[in-house]
Amino acid sequence: MEAGDGMGRRLRISGTLVILGLLTEALCLVWSRPIAFVVLVCVGGALIGLGVLFFLYSLVSAGSHAAGSSNVAREKQ
Amino acid sequence: MPTIAVVILVLFSAVLAGVIAVRPAITVSRAGKILAFGVLFFLPLFSLAFGMQNEMQRSESTAFCLSCHTMEPYGKSLQIDDPSYLAAAHYQNHRVPANEACYTCHADYAMFGTFKAKLGGLRHLYIYYLGKPPLPQDIKLYTPFNNRECLHCHLGARSFEQGATHNADPATLPAIKANTLSCVSSGCHDTVHNVGKWGSQVKFWNGGS
Repeated sequence: MEAGDGMGRRLRISGTLVILGLLTEALCLVWSRPIAFVVLVCVGGALIGLGVLFFLYSLVSAGSHAAGSSNVAREKQ
Repeated sequence: MPTIAVVILVLFSAVLAGVIAVRPAITVSRAGKILAFGVLFFLPLFSLAFGMQNEMQRSESTAFCLSCHTMEPYGKSLQIDDPSYLAAAHYQNHRVPANEACYTCHADYAMFGTFKAKLGGLRHLYIYYLGKPPLPQDIKLYTPFNNRECLHCHLGARSFEQGATHNADPATLPAIKANTLSCVSSGCHDTVHNVGKWGSQVKFWNGGS
């Protein structure tokens, strides 16, 4: 994982989504209204889910980039 | 897990996710990669699971049900100082847990009863926020009250099995157990919440929790 490249940017986006989701969840937990559960699931859950999925996608895409560059290096040799 | 502990876990996860978001360079090392996986995968999912479990548990509380304005008179009916009011008698004498009074009687004890109760709750939320909520006195049960919910506690209890009225006619007890004669039918335990029908002489008990 190189920090300055696209991977770093993807980690930032993923982290931001997770933070927003977690903050929504924390607010819902201290907010004693019936709608809190719906907000927790629909907004908090969606943001956390997106963040996690984006993180997994960034891992997969980083893996495929690494595999691609090693193939190119082998072909050059 | 208590709410405060879940909130601390959630905030802790958010802070760690913040560290990764601000300084993604720390994920260059092996330890950083492991940290990123824990912080952006395991911790958020754990936090979400604990948070949802906490909210589900809270949704069973009497306070949660009564937080809708429509339900306020039903909450008030639990404080009526008259033992002939079934809900009040159960609540005030802790025949049902006082902090889960609504859920104890209104969640059915069949398979998926809890699931159905939660779905019903979501429907109520939809009506409350996006629909036209009925007046409290116009609220009706979706289906007639099933004796199964009463028998969950009362079946086998001496006061129920040997009660004079229950045994006055030999057909009564089997009919109650078979749900062909409702416990809340007219002339029996038919005064439950009676919202909108309280007379001016009704008194309220201010004790309890």
